[in-house]
Amino acid sequence: MTALRNYLLTFADDEHLMGQQHVEWIGVAPFLEEDLAFSSIGQDELGHAVMLYELVLGLDDIEPTDTAIDALAYRRSGDEYRSSAFVEYGTTDWAEALVRHWIYDMVEQLRWNLVTASSFTALAVVASRAEREETFHRRHADALLDKLLATPGSDACARLLEALDALVPMLSTLLEPPAEESQILSEGVASASLASLHLPAITAINERFGTNYGTSDGVPGTAHRQTRSAAFDPLMTRMCEVLDLDPEASW
Amino acid sequence: MEEFEAFLNDGGIVEAPDDMPDEYRDAVFTFIEMHANSELMGGLTERDWIPKTPGLRHKMSVVAKTQDEIGHGHLLYMVAADMGVKTRTEMLEDLFDGKSRFHNVFHYQAKTWGDQVAIAFLVDAAALASQQAVFKNCSYGPYRRILKRIISEEGFHMRLGEDRMMRIANGSQVQRDLFQDAINRWFWPSLQLFGPDSKPNDKLLRWHIKSERNEVLRDAWVQKFVPLLQSYGFTIPAPDMKFDETTNRWDVGPIDWEPLKATLAQGGPDSARRISEALSNWQQTAWVREALDAPAPEIAAMT
Repeated sequence: MTALRNYLLTFADDEHLMGQQHVEWIGVAPFLEEDLAFSSIGQDELGHAVMLYELVLGLDDIEPTDTAIDALAYRRSGDEYRSSAFVEYGTTDWAEALVRHWIYDMVEQLRWNLVTASSFTALAVVASRAEREETFHRRHADALLDKLLATPGSDACARLLEALDALVPMLSTLLEPPAEESQILSEGVASASLASLHLPAITAINERFGTNYGTSDGVPGTAHRQTRSAAFDPLMTRMCEVLDLDPEASW
Repeated sequence: MEEFEAFLNDGGIVEAPDDMPDEYRDAVFTFIEMHANSELMGGLTERDWIPKTPGLRHKMSVVAKTQDEIGHGHLLYMVAADMGVKTRTEMLEDLFDGKSRFHNVFHYQAKTWGDQVAIAFLVDAAALASQQAVFKNCSYGPYRRILKRIISEEGFHMRLGEDRMMRIANGSQVQRDLFQDAINRWFWPSLQLFGPDSKPNDKLLRWHIKSERNEVLRDAWVQKFVPLLQSYGFTIPAPDMKFDETTNRWDVGPIDWEPLKATLAQGGPDSARRISEALSNWQQTAWVREALDAPAPEIAAMT
């Protein structure tokens, strides 16, 4: 049970914080259509987090009320979260936001593929629902990048490649498996290790951006997601500012 | 103009390609541009608190609500641009340069989560009442059709605001104090949103853009929200307010219109920050728009 809980929280916390980072862009994306698209994608990621937190609560037969979900989403101590530095990182640079969106959704689709035939059937159901949305997320990011990367050497290209250089090292945290993942694999919950996505991810990045990252770039970490990055505490403080006014209140 | 006004009085509907007097075109365009600007600036006011929304499902609802507001701006800019006065980019750049107007309420800062709820509850209700009055008898067809959708979504927003307000009203003293402070800050700006009494010769009324006088809409809002807020135990920050037992109506007393005038001159409490931040965001992402507008390399090579 602990292995499964860890596995679900790893995905749920990534989805939660990625959605949080996306919605920070509402109202300030480069143009109105992009504003609307990015808001939708952010809502989708938050929705995936809700579905995964519901599965976590189900392991303990807890009804997935708003209060129960929010206790998981906001009220654990830092060492109880399983998020990656990749999603904890905050940015006000649109190039980084867009490149992260592309990488995250590329990896996310691969992650969902690992559990579409899961022995934990409730997770397989969530995966099939989420995958339908991911197709649109990928299409959105690709359409923008097709155009922005069209002219090699352009200012847009330079900005995006600089953003990529900043983000690829953090890929190691996104691909870092949780503790006891081997049990998850042996029980058929997932078909392969999260770390096995490293080569496909690097290959996809190189094909998309015309780069030459190698197998030594973004190597999956081995700390089992036990620690949080420096960005985590300020992010959580910001997210909980209202909740902290009165922890017992219903808002 | 007399012939045009007779057409309007007979229930005539004007479409974008139709001939119309310049004065009518300019008045309608300015009205829609201000509405579009207000939807966008309203979204910016709300965005300050979205990341701090207390609850995950709650946050999804709030993001969807603000996304709707930005979406309304998107639709309204299209309607306005079709009038041929300014392009969407020109309208946005005028807004971020402080050259065009947006509603008074978005010249104020949402300082607390209580303010966020007050905006959804009090401001959205005031805006909805104004929009419904325009939709009722609007002579400019494209605007009227877009308003139908906007109004239906605004109804959901108001219910979201009402639901959040009721949770707070039935909640802890911390929550109630937070919302009382928000009422103290937002009651008057919300009421001032309707504007001073309509002039006898108001062109927007004469040309069937508005269907109701400002003071009538304002009074209807007062008669609804004063007793509603009081029924939840909140007080109204209007020391001269009286209840007239013969008419069974609330009178909030004299209205100070100076704060409204200040916002019209971009001199509201948060005007400078709001406009400069919007301009800064616009400038920082200019490279994206420029790259997307650039011709494809193969086309550029041919020119």
